[in-house]
Amino acid sequence: MKIPDVPRDADRDTFYLNMGPQHPSMHGVLRMVLKLRGEQILEAEAVIGYAHRAHEKMAENRNYLMFLPNTSRVDYLSGMIYNLGYCQAIEKWMGIEVPERARTIRIIANELNRISSHLLWFGTFLLDLGGVTPFLYCFDDREEILDILDQVTGSRLTYNYGRFGGVTVDVDDAFCQRTTAFLARLRERLPRYEDLVRGNIIFRERCDGVGVMDQHTCFQHSVTGPCLRACGIEYDVRKAEPYGGYDEYDFEVPTASEGDCLARYDVRVREMEQSARIIEQALERLPDGPILPAKMKKKVKPKAGEYYFACESARGHFGIYLVSDGSDIPFKMKLRTPSFSNLSSMPEVLRNTSVADTIAIIGSVDVVMPEIDR
Amino acid sequence: MSEAGASLYDALAALAESSAESDYAKDGFHHRHKVAAPKLPDIAALCHEHGYVLEMITCEDQREAHDAMRLVYTFNRLSAVDRHLIQADLPPGQEAPSIVGVYHAADWFEREVYDMYGVRFAGHPELKRILLPDDADFFALLKDFGRIEDAEQEAES
Repeated sequence: MKIPDVPRDADRDTFYLNMGPQHPSMHGVLRMVLKLRGEQILEAEAVIGYAHRAHEKMAENRNYLMFLPNTSRVDYLSGMIYNLGYCQAIEKWMGIEVPERARTIRIIANELNRISSHLLWFGTFLLDLGGVTPFLYCFDDREEILDILDQVTGSRLTYNYGRFGGVTVDVDDAFCQRTTAFLARLRERLPRYEDLVRGNIIFRERCDGVGVMDQHTCFQHSVTGPCLRACGIEYDVRKAEPYGGYDEYDFEVPTASEGDCLARYDVRVREMEQSARIIEQALERLPDGPILPAKMKKKVKPKAGEYYFACESARGHFGIYLVSDGSDIPFKMKLRTPSFSNLSSMPEVLRNTSVADTIAIIGSVDVVMPEIDR
Repeated sequence: MSEAGASLYDALAALAESSAESDYAKDGFHHRHKVAAPKLPDIAALCHEHGYVLEMITCEDQREAHDAMRLVYTFNRLSAVDRHLIQADLPPGQEAPSIVGVYHAADWFEREVYDMYGVRFAGHPELKRILLPDDADFFALLKDFGRIEDAEQEAES
């Protein structure tokens, strides 16, 4: 938003405040331009693009396999989900069969990644609200997930674990034991967080009834993920169009009805419990066998035409739209990222709230800027 | 196909230049429609009426093969998956009608298409750059911009 020159006789109580791009609670490089009267927000505009790295352009300049490492850089907090999602998309379009063991490992890795992403959101959200203690607890938990995944994949954030048809490295017994131990620990600690945070009167005052995104707003702005589920719409890509075998697992899609910051908090916390449930089922059934097809496809060349694939990232509906011209380089690849649409609803949601609420609302939406800017 | 899905398909087919069923298991779409660009707001209003969400808007630089910029819209519903792919070919340089009046989500999507492809949308409240710098003098996803081969040649010469 261009800040206009204020004429002499203008309302002297109205002024503009630049929040970000380097503000500590703007989660990376988001800039909010707020038009204020005192503490009240009259208009808000999100200015984005500071972390634009042209992933979609890069996709048009390299073949399908070469694009694989890019995927986890799009959203570095749920890199595994993006990385495996891209592999699953290619497999679907090319008709590549994935061995059962690899499919199960992928589910475990996906859900571990979802928990770690939610834990990071949990810590930073409360940090935004002024609570430092929970941050230290949940980073302790998250560290364990990063160690588990690091041991298998060799990286802590930007995983490149998937291949077209399976995964690169097999998991061993130590991995399974460590994951089981972690889940037991998480189960024990989640109720303690609940006591520490949910019961805290300051936290509740900051969140209860604040930043309501109703069903109409969510529908108009194509909001997905926990933000959508917090206003009572039970939409989860894992259930709506199951991929990678999610339909074989028993889990619920947590929802709430209020659509405020507190509802979004509740939905995410309960999602962590559901992810833990999925991982336990996957560990139990983990079959023996290969992790890659016996014969790998050397050339990936989808038939000319348009393709779409959707998966559920930690923030909502991640879609890949591909146009192939039959060569081994994509003609066009559009990455439909959830945070982009979620953030686009902010001008509407922030209107008539206060500056302090802005921090709580943007924190509760859980935006990841590199994912928006791509 | 459920009844609501069938009725939207029929309604869209009546407006579209051509419509076809698609193999969802293979390419992720249930239906495909080719429409004329001026019909886009009517198409969007129909989808809105039937409770379909605008999943995304994007564009393809098809100037070489079809002498057109191809606008792409996908609509889906949240209750039971039913994805419609809408394609509208636009002669290069021509404006497309905006659908911001129907779906607010189109605001940012259309700005991104303008930012990356230079396609302008008539009726958009504030069409300006979104990801690239405000003073950029290029459209980054056009096929004749920023090819690696060009950069390599330039470096060699």
